[in-house]
Amino acid sequence: MANVLRHLPELEGMELGYIQGILKNMDDDQANLFAQVYRARRKDNQMVLILCLLGFFGFAGLHRFILGQVGLGILYIFTLGLCFIGTIVDLVNYKSLAYEFNIKVAHETLSMMSNNSNFFPNVNPNTSGNA
Amino acid sequence: MKRIGTLIRTFPLELVFWIGALIGILLIDPYGAQHFTLCPLENLGFHWCPGCGLGRAMSLLTKGDIAASWSMHPLAMFAFGAIGYRIFELIRHLKTTNHYG
Repeated sequence: MANVLRHLPELEGMELGYIQGILKNMDDDQANLFAQVYRARRKDNQMVLILCLLGFFGFAGLHRFILGQVGLGILYIFTLGLCFIGTIVDLVNYKSLAYEFNIKVAHETLSMMSNNSNFFPNVNPNTSGNA
Repeated sequence: MKRIGTLIRTFPLELVFWIGALIGILLIDPYGAQHFTLCPLENLGFHWCPGCGLGRAMSLLTKGDIAASWSMHPLAMFAFGAIGYRIFELIRHLKTTNHYG
């Protein structure tokens, strides 16, 4: 049973609870590997907020590109963030956008760890969640 | 009090926004001359922005008037695709993003 505060102290709120749920099935070595990969790949919600604010200066939708939603990113860029309305909604909603992306990254990391189990012999396949 | 906090945090704001936007677009009348506008830029006094006419173009598309829709705003079809796909993704992830396991 690994503690999320020891491995990923920068998390907060719902993400903290979610990652704790993942880490509680792991021992410290596994949690360490998971934390390294996850930290390198997750997006900070402050970056989403700043890119979203750029929408008011004519560069709307950069946060959608960063979060992998290319279709909506193109739509935002060509319509000035749906005439600012989309940008304002995302400004309210930026934490859930980042949270959703990070949960996806966490599941990818888990399935990668269970696929490379010869690399890392004692990963329990039951910890791979339901990605 | 704690339950209200959880409810606010897990409320799918983006999903409600997109579905509300599509319902609003189905309700507008694209052929009317003057219409009520929500657009913050229009209300600030700018009379043109790159997104002007997108709502009307999408509305024309639902009525089957593809030529008029294209001349109003060429991205209408693309917008339907992108927003529809986003709604699908949001609904698909509704369960897994709230709880682990």
